Amino acid sequence: MKYRIAGIAALVAFAWYLPYQLDSYMIHVANVIIVFAILAIGLGLVMGVAGQINLAQIAFFGAAAYGTAILTTRAGFGFWTAAALAMLIAATIGLLVGTPALRMQSHYLGIVTLGLALALTNWVTNAHIAGGAEGISGIPAPELPGIDLHNAYFFYYLELVVFLLALAFGLFVVHTPLGRKMRAMRDDSLAAGAVGVEVPQLRMTAFFLSSIYGGLAGVLYAGLIRYVAPESFSIANMFLLLAMVIIGGRQSLIGCVVGAVALSLLREVLVDYPTYAQVAYGSVVVLTVVFAPTGLAGLPKRIRGLLRRVGWLPGDTGPVPKLGPFLPYAETPRPAAEPILRIDEVSMHFRGLKALQEISMTVNAGEIRGIVGPNGSGKTTLFNVVSGLYRPTAGRVYLADKDMTAASPHVLARKGIARTFQNLRLFALLSVRDNLLVALDQTSILSNWRYVLWQAGVWRHDQSLRAEADELLQRFGLTDFADSAPGELPYGTQRRVEIARAMARRPSLLLLDEPAAGLNGEEVRQLSEIVRSIRASGVTVVIIEHNMGLVMSLCERVTVLASGRVIADGTPAEVARAPQVVEAYLGDSAMSEDVPEIVETEAAR
Amino acid sequence: MQVFLQTFIGGVSLGAIYALVAMGFSLVFRTMGLVNFSHGNVVMIGAYIASTFYLSVKLPFAVAMVIALGLTGLIGVFIERVLRPLENKDFDLMLIGTIGFGIVLEAVAIIIWGATGRAVPNPVAVAPVQIFGLRIRTYDLVVLAITTAATLLLVYFLQRTKRGAAMQAVAMDHEAATAVGIHVGRSNAIAFMLGAALAALAGGLVGPLLYVNPSMGGMLGIKGFAGAILGGFGSIPGAIVGGIAIGVLDSFAGGWFQGYSDLVTFLVFTMIIMIRPTGIFGERTVNRA
Amino acid sequence: MFSSVRRRAAVLFLALATPVVLVACAAPGSDNNNKQNTEGPIKIALVDAQSGQLSSLGAWELKGVRLAMDEWNAAGGINGRQIELGIFDDQGDPTVGTNLARKIAAEGYIAMLGTAESAVTIAMAPILKESKIPNITSGQSPGLVAVKSPFLFLNGPTSTTYDETLAKYIVDTKGIKSIAMITNNGGYGKGEHDAFLKALSSRGVTPLDDQVVTTDQKDFSAALTTIRQKNPQVVFIGAEEVQSGLIVKQARDLGLTVPFAGAAPQGTPVFVDTAGVANAEGSIVSSPYLSNDINDATKKFAAAYKAKFNEDAELHGAKAYDGAQILFTALKNNKGATGEALATAIRGTKHAGLLGNFAFDDTGVGIFATTIGLIKNGKLVSA
Repeated sequence: MKYRIAGIAALVAFAWYLPYQLDSYMIHVANVIIVFAILAIGLGLVMGVAGQINLAQIAFFGAAAYGTAILTTRAGFGFWTAAALAMLIAATIGLLVGTPALRMQSHYLGIVTLGLALALTNWVTNAHIAGGAEGISGIPAPELPGIDLHNAYFFYYLELVVFLLALAFGLFVVHTPLGRKMRAMRDDSLAAGAVGVEVPQLRMTAFFLSSIYGGLAGVLYAGLIRYVAPESFSIANMFLLLAMVIIGGRQSLIGCVVGAVALSLLREVLVDYPTYAQVAYGSVVVLTVVFAPTGLAGLPKRIRGLLRRVGWLPGDTGPVPKLGPFLPYAETPRPAAEPILRIDEVSMHFRGLKALQEISMTVNAGEIRGIVGPNGSGKTTLFNVVSGLYRPTAGRVYLADKDMTAASPHVLARKGIARTFQNLRLFALLSVRDNLLVALDQTSILSNWRYVLWQAGVWRHDQSLRAEADELLQRFGLTDFADSAPGELPYGTQRRVEIARAMARRPSLLLLDEPAAGLNGEEVRQLSEIVRSIRASGVTVVIIEHNMGLVMSLCERVTVLASGRVIADGTPAEVARAPQVVEAYLGDSAMSEDVPEIVETEAAR
Repeated sequence: MQVFLQTFIGGVSLGAIYALVAMGFSLVFRTMGLVNFSHGNVVMIGAYIASTFYLSVKLPFAVAMVIALGLTGLIGVFIERVLRPLENKDFDLMLIGTIGFGIVLEAVAIIIWGATGRAVPNPVAVAPVQIFGLRIRTYDLVVLAITTAATLLLVYFLQRTKRGAAMQAVAMDHEAATAVGIHVGRSNAIAFMLGAALAALAGGLVGPLLYVNPSMGGMLGIKGFAGAILGGFGSIPGAIVGGIAIGVLDSFAGGWFQGYSDLVTFLVFTMIIMIRPTGIFGERTVNRA
Repeated sequence: MFSSVRRRAAVLFLALATPVVLVACAAPGSDNNNKQNTEGPIKIALVDAQSGQLSSLGAWELKGVRLAMDEWNAAGGINGRQIELGIFDDQGDPTVGTNLARKIAAEGYIAMLGTAESAVTIAMAPILKESKIPNITSGQSPGLVAVKSPFLFLNGPTSTTYDETLAKYIVDTKGIKSIAMITNNGGYGKGEHDAFLKALSSRGVTPLDDQVVTTDQKDFSAALTTIRQKNPQVVFIGAEEVQSGLIVKQARDLGLTVPFAGAAPQGTPVFVDTAGVANAEGSIVSSPYLSNDINDATKKFAAAYKAKFNEDAELHGAKAYDGAQILFTALKNNKGATGEALATAIRGTKHAGLLGNFAFDDTGVGIFATTIGLIKNGKLVSA
């Protein structure tokens, strides 16, 4: 911590005294670099943090620069008024460009944002008001009382202050609930929706944020260069910006800044050989994505890892982290046996495939319900329908008598449904603590106004979430692993993290999809203890499981699916004896060995 | 009416080129789930190689084309080899990697052939065909014929040959394909090679229509990609229909909106994609749950 | 904390990177300043696109300037001082141009030659004016005049002159009144569009059709078919070399057989190659430098150019040669003056150049005549 503060202080001091070292041209270069650094932060936020491909960042930049130019030279506004309006224009365009993100992702988003950026360039090339291909010159320099911003040196300090504020705000966003949700959405948008993250709105927010940074950079650019032309906002420059973010390390805002500075300096050094500069940065992009996907920002960690392996740095000498015991929830009296989940004649068809056919079932509050069936019988599809990932072809789903059939996952999550996934869907690049923090935050997207007006409130909210997270980590025995990435943990521990994350929502209905898969005997025993305690705390549990021993000992009722239909429903003992169940299982070779196990469990009782 | 039809014909003739470009995009995507953003620049390289052998080495146009197809195919294999560590891992990173390749290819073309470009004379110097006052260039008919032949050959390869069937299998489920003994890496390499060869075909054919220069790849790539998406990404008939649709859309946008044609083309494209994100024929994609 | 470790690592990295920043920033030109040296070589900057699509113009200009410079230096320089040429690449991008304007000011260049692209020159003009660095550009857009910078001069006529001559030939001499226009929306095309339209309207002629295309449009079927239906006798074309060639080629394929008329780009070999020799036949070109055989001066220039660079001289090289000669003459006559004095000296310089007799007015234009040529068998000949 002490080193960090000293480091930051040294950097700020360096930045502050830098102009004294520079001639009038190099100070201009420094000014341009800062503009690109701000742009790169914006692109890093939307691409690296929120995972949305955005090839229109240069268009936000252009919109604000042109906005400032047109409003000052054509409409006679003062620089600052024009700048404020231009930021508004950029933000509006950001929201417009972000709209397609509601419907499409990755390469679709890539081509659409690229197309919209080209459309904007095309407009300014043609429009009389934008000066056509010759652009607009004679933009007045911004004015501040007592400071002549015509002077590149003073302009540097203006930019430096704006840049530091922008960077600080960006880092603040990344490390508080909003940024955490964005990172969660980037790592796994399905799981993010399932823990209540409003994915579509959050995508728009990400574009909005990046357009604000684009706008800021555009305004500064207009004030600095005092001239705008279409070429400056071309696709080539967009790709250059992209290269900065990738080389620097898109997931780290500091990395984006380093990338912007490094690549700009490289271009400056090779200014007389632009073609070779192009070869250089293109190759570096390719090498980066293949060999160092985390970019320059990820290098120190990789180097440390390497040094540790060679033995130059001591390894982790602390105690080996251990999974702690589960601390049971306080018991609450069992609720009255009213239906909490009612599935009514639900069918789900995928093109030709009928995955679910007229499924009906009712789960009562306070129950532990097992769902079993051969592979491909539609169990997970049923969960996906209930948790809102699929919209059923026919039929209705009621949650405590309210029709929730067409609700999206995050709405259902907010109504009290939580779930785990068959193939583990933890947020891979978030720490275990952050995984829980994402789920713990119940605030809606609208509460993000506080980021603009009341940052202290955000900070306080974050602190209270952290306290809750510590408690939850403690309860699930995960304290030792709080700062680990999920991928570094043993498989059984990852399963437990996923249950903890689901419980962070404080759900009324918990859906567990094969929670015992891949667990050893002791872990299965612990799981069974955890599930019982969860139920005892008043949560209804529905569990898909192949481990018949677990199902038989844990569940009060069991529903059996085969080929997308319910073929039996009753107590474990009833179901195990039903002839159609035995037949369905014998028909499925993979499951046939499970049948004797049922009998054994029965016998053991 | 005549303007309308002639505009349509003009759109179809460039659209046939976009269709070839789109087909390359789709073939690579359906096999390995990768969007190759350097595809447009591969088209440009193909155009340069074809024109070099046609103009400088003075080989017949068809021979120059065949050489260009082969050499460009090798470039495709090279790109695939470099990016292989990322396959089936991070989709977005690979996409950005191909953008990087595009940047390098363009710069390399400038270093080898210079920045200014060259004109390629029409190899089929026959007067245009005239029907009802409409004029159709003979060369356009040649392009259409070659595009059709290439499509048929590709479909035949994918559906009737063992290697093609293996590629289809990889497209459907690469893990299952590995399990039955199909070499996924080789299959991907072939897809990339064929994609690059299709790009070279498009580039070689477009040379005499336009002008070969290092920056020609950008627009051809973007329009071809838009065509592939419009038709349904990964679908071969979709690529044909989508590519021609983009050509026609572009042509009419140019006629009706003059200088604003790019703006109109991309706005219309965005709107169509918003309404129907999977394109006309639906996305044929690798199922990666 | 996981995140804080990452953050700290990034900060550390930035700290490591800073010495690089320091070195890179401090190294170039930090000991240069605006002191007006009266000894040592005279530093002249040449700014042009040396890379990118417009680099052919940049290459031609460089040759023209280099030829002029070598002649002067071989003859002992300017008042005994050698000329030193700094070559800068603007990549055809106005923003790069503004950076370069600051760079040449910081590095103590006393005058600038180029650029060939009006948009870039216009972007640079305010900075050069502020730094009092005279600039002789090869651009021809009327927008250059509109900048009203006393430090900006043109080494050729503006589009207004090119198109006035063209309109005079077509309308007045040939009596043709049914004229269609096709221009692009780029900087050059827009300038041509406005200048030719003005020249026509001053003669009371309205074009039959006025089509605008984008700079990277490839298919002109719609525009050209519309034009063909209007049945013009001449089509005016305002686009760069390659696009003009494409338009003419497609027009012939679409059955549009009338001649095309345009300014300098239509006189270049690139245009003829792109269009095809047969298709370009009969094109009407307005140019201040039709060929290398106009007079003894051009013949001498062409011979020297051929000897030095082993290629045929053409318009852009000749313009740049004229511009350089004017600058050097002004410097010689005023004993190496700089800043405002040099600008005044240039304005006062009368020069018999390859393009004609230069005499600058207040707008910075020194020559107001072009001649009409026709393309015959792929070569530009006097009409």
